[in-house]
Amino acid sequence: MAEISFPLPDLGEGLLEATVLEWLVKVGDQVERNQPFVEVETTKSSVELPSPIAGIVLTLHGKPGDVVLVDRPLITFAVADDSAGIVGTVPQEAAPKRRVRLSVVLDED
Amino acid sequence: MSEVLEGVRKTAPTPLVQLSMQQAINRALGEILERDDRALIFGEDVGVLGGVFRVTDGLQQRFGANRVFDTPLAESGILGTAIGLAMAGFHPIPEVQFDGFAYPAVNQIITQLARMNYRSRGRLPMPVTLRVPSFGGIRAPEHHGESLESLFAHVPGLKVVSPSNPQQAYRLLKHAASMPDPVIFMEPKARYWNKAAVDLTDDQGSVSLEGSVIARPGNHATLIAWGAMVSRCLQVAELAAEDGIELEVLDLRWLKPIDEAGLAASVSRTRRAIVVHEGPRTNGLGAEVAALVSQSCFDTLRAPVERVTGFDVPYPSGDLEDEYIPNIDRILFGVQRVLEYRRG
Repeated sequence: MAEISFPLPDLGEGLLEATVLEWLVKVGDQVERNQPFVEVETTKSSVELPSPIAGIVLTLHGKPGDVVLVDRPLITFAVADDSAGIVGTVPQEAAPKRRVRLSVVLDED
Repeated sequence: MSEVLEGVRKTAPTPLVQLSMQQAINRALGEILERDDRALIFGEDVGVLGGVFRVTDGLQQRFGANRVFDTPLAESGILGTAIGLAMAGFHPIPEVQFDGFAYPAVNQIITQLARMNYRSRGRLPMPVTLRVPSFGGIRAPEHHGESLESLFAHVPGLKVVSPSNPQQAYRLLKHAASMPDPVIFMEPKARYWNKAAVDLTDDQGSVSLEGSVIARPGNHATLIAWGAMVSRCLQVAELAAEDGIELEVLDLRWLKPIDEAGLAASVSRTRRAIVVHEGPRTNGLGAEVAALVSQSCFDTLRAPVERVTGFDVPYPSGDLEDEYIPNIDRILFGVQRVLEYRRG
């Protein structure tokens, strides 16, 4: 497993910080890509932030009410070592599913 | 007598290693660099990072930054560099990080790489192996998943190959790198992480590295596929068997030149063919395959060759991929259409 941290992004135009309103995940949760994981409030608005990757939550950097700074770590994930590169996700091997059945009378000659 | 002994030697058990395709390609690249002083690897993030898919992981540490190096984000320059190095006697193995990034390099590929040997009357061969992580299936954003085989296969002077499993990737890459011609090596991203047994000891291989291979024998129809679609067609064949239909799966492997004899041999036995690919249907490689099969098997075909393909739309990003890439049901419908066809 590898650890990947994400910093608080600049949510407006040159904002420096945001306040954690509510964590939508807890340590140990499996988070999917694009799943909202925190609600933060800036001087302009409150927003839910989507997770940029899939992984297991290792650390939440701050409690509700805490001020977190832009570019400082916000959340740390544990991800599988063989996770995809900078973009994309590793395809999950699922049992093949079908809805179509073949119904054929073969008239071999 | 010697033939018998040869046969015995080849069937003797050999040690197998479980490797993913990315690991198998990494091994092959390491061996190529070890054996060939003139081989060079370069591209975006292939050096320090080891590639976004970890395919070149550790190679810069092993062979140094003169032989494995990072380039600017400029695919035209990557290919231009490869062409110049090939003219100077090197054996470049450049990488284009994602197939969608190959478009800026297409000018260099078509107007220089593919025809330098022809233009120079054989004095400037281009032993360049261009690795292109290809096709979809990893839910990547736009320009990170394409299906460019018919574009490349249309260009005289290029060879195009796509492995479908780790063993083939390992062998075909080494084979491609030993060729005097430019080869576009299309690695199916969706299959990078699937592990399978790879025989690293039998260097020559007991299976030919040219042409197509039968991935599964069957007698009612032939599914023709390459890259990531081979494993999907194998799943379809497994399901069809539940319905009493035995499908043959032909892994085309080389998309240029196409193994016409291999196609004819399979379809003349099964008498029905379905070609499956991710790229758009119109002018896709399936049209070429269908034409070749129709010509060579016209008298034995029981139904027109069916195509199950992507749609004539830009390759969609992430969430729409499943609607675009041929899925099991669409392939089964194709099989059904071919099996129930009656002349008349």
